[in-house]
Amino acid sequence: MNNNLVSTSMEKSFGKSLLYTLPMFLITFIFISGGKVDFSNLPAALAIVVTFLFMNILYFMMHYTGKTDKFRVILFIIFALSLSFTLIKNMMEMRHSMSFSQADLLECKIPFCHLVIPMMIIPAAFTKSIIFPGSVIGGFADISSMIILWLVATLVLGRGFCAWGCFYGGWDDGFSRFRKKSVIKKISESWRWMPFAVLFMVALTAAMTLGPTYCDWICPFKAVTEFEQISSVESVAKAVVFISLFLSLVVVLPVLTKKRTQCSFLCPMGAVNSLSNKITPFVVKIDKKACSECFKCVQVCPLFALTKEDVKNGKASVFCSKCGKCVDVCSKNAIHFGIKGVPAGTMKNFSRNLFLFVSFLFISVFSAGSIINAVQSIFKLLF
Amino acid sequence: MKKLKMITGITWAFAGLILMFILFPGMNNLSMSVSKLPFMKINPNYNGGVVAKQIVEASCTLDIRKPVFDGLLKERKSGFVQIDWRGTVPDNIVDTIDYDLDEIPDFTITIDRIKSTTSINAMSSKVLNIGVSTPTSYGWAVRVNLKK
Ligand code: SF4
Ligand code: SF4
Repeated sequence: MNNNLVSTSMEKSFGKSLLYTLPMFLITFIFISGGKVDFSNLPAALAIVVTFLFMNILYFMMHYTGKTDKFRVILFIIFALSLSFTLIKNMMEMRHSMSFSQADLLECKIPFCHLVIPMMIIPAAFTKSIIFPGSVIGGFADISSMIILWLVATLVLGRGFCAWGCFYGGWDDGFSRFRKKSVIKKISESWRWMPFAVLFMVALTAAMTLGPTYCDWICPFKAVTEFEQISSVESVAKAVVFISLFLSLVVVLPVLTKKRTQCSFLCPMGAVNSLSNKITPFVVKIDKKACSECFKCVQVCPLFALTKEDVKNGKASVFCSKCGKCVDVCSKNAIHFGIKGVPAGTMKNFSRNLFLFVSFLFISVFSAGSIINAVQSIFKLLF
Repeated sequence: MKKLKMITGITWAFAGLILMFILFPGMNNLSMSVSKLPFMKINPNYNGGVVAKQIVEASCTLDIRKPVFDGLLKERKSGFVQIDWRGTVPDNIVDTIDYDLDEIPDFTITIDRIKSTTSINAMSSKVLNIGVSTPTSYGWAVRVNLKK
């Protein structure tokens, strides 16, 4: 069989790709700009136009080349960088520092992120309250909006949130692509269960202390967002933990292993999202008839979501983030995006098109605010 | 059975598409509905609890909040009471507080806002020490640690 011909079967002609991009073009334009761009504020208008065009070019390329992860990861990394940039910029403008003060804590002005959700469930059930010093509604990153965004994304995409929605994932996804070949090759798959242990531990300690213990003591992304003012031995210890975990799990290990080690071994939200993979409509399937069992997909999976057994069983495990890296690498076009209930190897194009539309719509609209903000700041610096 | 599974899967996938369509335009209404859920309020350990007594002075208002001992299942042995000064707060504050509203003073608090120093004179054995004393956007806030 001609491998090349098979590998390109997800590709579309230029015209057809344009046609597939048109609905995304219109919808993202309406959702991102509100249907009109105000050119009286030129840097802001240009930032919107550049962001919007850039996103749609990526979406077009996904259809045109048939590759998913190759273009997804660009947006995913930019999202992570621009979110950190926007957050730090806001903090510097408002507080002249990357740390939050006791007044911010007392006045409940801390931006909420989805990683708090697993810790707030037990306390919410028993105390009928949220154990986080944030704003319930209104203001930057309020609790209600973040819950809704995460809930819908996780219902529809499952752990796809970890490749198409999370504003942290782009960090270790990015660093995992630094080298062509991995230095550390042998890592036991059993480590992928670690986030469940972390989830259990933080859910329990959060319930006992009525405090978001993961945010207070563990979260590596505090190193690139905001953290407590260094004013005591305890706050120094926390800063050391945040920075060490960031450097080891988000930077060094991903570079050496080519895996997303923070997301695979630590993040409790990753564990929750893996569970939600059980209910989502979209899955990654393997057409066993077409599969040559080369296991290239197993090698490239950044989340240890695919074992040889999974390939033989015809579907990726619950750890799958639907990033598409395995799909991009399969020369037989055997591994593909699918829909639950639809047999593997059938309706491949339809399933991919539908999945791409849903997941790309989410990441593009969700990330637009941060990216536009970052682009606008760059324009202001340049001109 | 296979066909039914297939139809269910595809229907669910299209429902996902519709959900995504609704999500962003409906964000304000959806988050407003979520914010009205019974558990969507900030725990008193973070927001300081409800105001139990308000004393209006010449240029500022003094809020004495309900002492917070909230635990997961039952009250804790230790907690705090938050006092807020709102408005034009004087540079030197000296206030005697009856936090449990039994008409017996529990502590006197002295704040020098310029030097950023706070001291407490406890008159009750339940009053431990100063937990937090900080300027805020509305004036000044203090949390005094208590035991039951
Ligand atoms: S595992 Fe955690 S940090 Fe990583 S992408 Fe998922 S939610 Fe984000
Ligand atoms: S199985 Fe494939 S789609 Fe799923 S996480 Fe691994 S590489 Fe990504």
